[in-house]
Amino acid sequence: MTTADVLAPVVPVDEEARATPAWRTVLNTIEGRIGLAVGALMLLLIAFGRFFAPYSPNELGVGPRTQGPSAEHVFGTDSLGRDVLSRFLSGGDMILLVPLLSVVLAFLVGGGLGMFGGYRRGRADLVITRTFDLLLTLPPLLIVLVIIAGIGSSTAVLVVTAALVFVPRVGRLLRGATQAVVTNDYVAAAQARGERTAAIILREVLPNIAASAIAEFALRLTYAIIFVATLNFLGLGAQPPNPNWGLMVAEGRTYIAISPWATLLPAAGIAALSIATNLIADALTRHIARDTARGTVTL
Amino acid sequence: MTTALQIDGLSVGYARADGSVNLVVKDVDLALEPGTILGLAGESGCGKSTSALAAVGYRSPGSRIVGGRSLLDGVDLLALPLAELRSLWARRIAYVAQNAATALNPALPIGRQLAQPLVRHLGLRGEELRARQLELLEQVGLPDPPGALARYPHQFSGGQQQRIAIAIALSCRPRVLILDEPTTGLDVTTQARISALLRTLVSETGVATLYVSHDLALLGTIADRMAVMYGGEIVEASSARAVTRRPRHPYSQALLGAVPSAHRPRAVAGIPGRPPSSVSLDACAFAPRCAHVVPDCTLARPELREIEADHVARCVRAEELAPQPNQGTVLAARTAAAPEPLLEVIDVCCEYRHRRTSHVVVRGVSLAVHPGETVGVVGESGSGKSTLLRAIVGLHAPSAGSIRLRGEELAPTAVKRPRAVRRELQIVFQNAESSLNPRHAVGDLVGRPVRLFRDDVARAEEPRAVAELLEAVKLPRSVANRYPAELSGGQKQRVALARAFAARPSLLLCDEVTSSLDVSVQATVLELLAELALQLDTAVVFVSHDLAVVRTIATRALVVRDGEVCEQGETERLFLAPSHPYTQELLSSIPEPAATSAA
Repeated sequence: MTTADVLAPVVPVDEEARATPAWRTVLNTIEGRIGLAVGALMLLLIAFGRFFAPYSPNELGVGPRTQGPSAEHVFGTDSLGRDVLSRFLSGGDMILLVPLLSVVLAFLVGGGLGMFGGYRRGRADLVITRTFDLLLTLPPLLIVLVIIAGIGSSTAVLVVTAALVFVPRVGRLLRGATQAVVTNDYVAAAQARGERTAAIILREVLPNIAASAIAEFALRLTYAIIFVATLNFLGLGAQPPNPNWGLMVAEGRTYIAISPWATLLPAAGIAALSIATNLIADALTRHIARDTARGTVTL
Repeated sequence: MTTALQIDGLSVGYARADGSVNLVVKDVDLALEPGTILGLAGESGCGKSTSALAAVGYRSPGSRIVGGRSLLDGVDLLALPLAELRSLWARRIAYVAQNAATALNPALPIGRQLAQPLVRHLGLRGEELRARQLELLEQVGLPDPPGALARYPHQFSGGQQQRIAIAIALSCRPRVLILDEPTTGLDVTTQARISALLRTLVSETGVATLYVSHDLALLGTIADRMAVMYGGEIVEASSARAVTRRPRHPYSQALLGAVPSAHRPRAVAGIPGRPPSSVSLDACAFAPRCAHVVPDCTLARPELREIEADHVARCVRAEELAPQPNQGTVLAARTAAAPEPLLEVIDVCCEYRHRRTSHVVVRGVSLAVHPGETVGVVGESGSGKSTLLRAIVGLHAPSAGSIRLRGEELAPTAVKRPRAVRRELQIVFQNAESSLNPRHAVGDLVGRPVRLFRDDVARAEEPRAVAELLEAVKLPRSVANRYPAELSGGQKQRVALARAFAARPSLLLCDEVTSSLDVSVQATVLELLAELALQLDTAVVFVSHDLAVVRTIATRALVVRDGEVCEQGETERLFLAPSHPYTQELLSSIPEPAATSAA
């Protein structure tokens, strides 16, 4: 090192300390790349696939019933003679949207309550955590069955009930993360400035737990996709003749030996979606684990 | 007597990503003699610990020995395979880390931890083992050795934990002992007792000791010989007495000048800048920060030359420079002018409640602070001094007593106080690491109180106000776009000061603001604090466990112990003629560099 090197940087920047943004780390890992590629592909397919459908998804008898692949019907037809490919291309939206909305709702409610409890501590925290614990003791499917049996099924009900299942799980995680952050003096500094609770949670706490929150979001979305697909499969969600993938799997499985694609294609769609989110969640988690060790998590 | 550990030309580097080596230690020569202590001094990042650990064969991850030898009774440790080194460590070479709390295993009783090396290396069993364990604990002055064996580390105080760590280190009667800042972070009185213990143990056991510390004053009182490191090289070496009394290298002089003194109202002089991150090969490494720099300094790397008998220094001007450290300017010049107190704390009690038990930490403390004066609060950890500050600023509701600002009673918590009161009382925390939100840029951190409290600054003017504040704490404006992780410890504490002054407070509460900093950085932060407080006419309550720091900055001081005020008064009187036995004990515990007591 020459003298000039010593003199030049008034504030020497430790390049090691400079954090890499999350998206870059995600792109740098093999699972992140695969996850993003598959995820993008599935997103395009779900959003625009319907415009390329050769037939109307719900039109009966566009071909012979329950048939394997042919020149007119690339993936065959189902038991009512509908085109499997057209149904697949049109039926992905709710398999992604319902889980997405329910996880967002779970984060708003559960995350909000968890952060509030973790910050406030005391009695409010006790009530919140006990409520979470109570919800956690109930089997997820039981909650959904009871609610849907009671008030019937619709997209909104599905979103809310699925969210109810995720609220305590998300809440507990964010509460724990918040507890670790509130012991820092910058929270005390904000309190001494007289900042309001909401401002402290949003400005001081949230940015510091955002990394784990986002990883949890991606992971929770994976569960949600499978969970909602399961509900549809069980007939608790979308009703016929909706081309919903979960429902398609349920309808097609009786004839799987004759027209395998009527079951396999939507099943593969669900699998690809959940695997993609899972891979992205893994890459994010790895990013956080590495940068937490260095103390410079950035998103 | 033969040299126990002879280190010759030790060079250490870290591998860079591109395969080249970043040299951090170059050509270090040290000789450890049995029964003596060699002090190794310097700021953080000067290569002290790296050299000490590399010399006994320990390689931290990524580091690599570039050259040199380290002979333990003639055997080169650097050439030994790891398996052989392992059998030497603990048996012939012992190491005591800075933080005993993390060095001891919290899950094992100390008897077990003490037995491990004795069983493994000496093969002791049964009665023999127990006798040696008790002997060691007695040697390090731990009360009730038989009872202590069954207890766990958390049941001991910080000082006792360090005694246990020393007992473990000495268990196999090692030839060489490496101490890495063994008393840093301990209270002054504890520090004094541990230092005295180490001195006795070294003489009794004849172990050759390398004592690494940033505290030149401490090394001056305990070490026999001393080497000062800067930028990975030894810049000065001699007897400890010669280095502290007649330092020849400007760096040693600057380090001594940065040490505050509790015995004289001496000011401190900080060393601006910070140490280089790698060895300088073509110039004097200290030249960029040196007050005595001449063109010759940057022409070539100076050699370590003998200035006088048994005294070497790496400086081209070593002969001509005055061997007296820079005396600095007096900081604590302000006294109270107004008769009306700004802040009054009257019989305040604070307690922490947990379930049904309560723990009282402040027992009826009263104090008054007048506008513009600096009041010091001295006490050891656990004395309740930080809780008192938190109560004043509204972070901890007192259980009794009252706190008044300009005669007005204050609400117990900050949220319930009017905005004007919150603006007037600002706090700076001990650890800038934790008080600056890592997710906000420096500009946002400093800008927040400007937005909240400064009605005279319009929205559009905020960036300019932030830039001015950064300049006031001597940071470049560009720091506004940086995140805390990109700054050094001293720079972070400057940002914290800028944030506190941003609100234009009339009273600044400082909670151990320099205790996590190196002496050289501490001095610059103290200078800055004193300067700003004077400029902006801000009163300061300065809480510290370090009497010397308090004497340097405060005009009046309180000594607190167990939540009660033992003694208070003018700093001068308090330090010259302490009347309370506890104040006397605190004062007598402080190590003093020989140079200052002679001057």
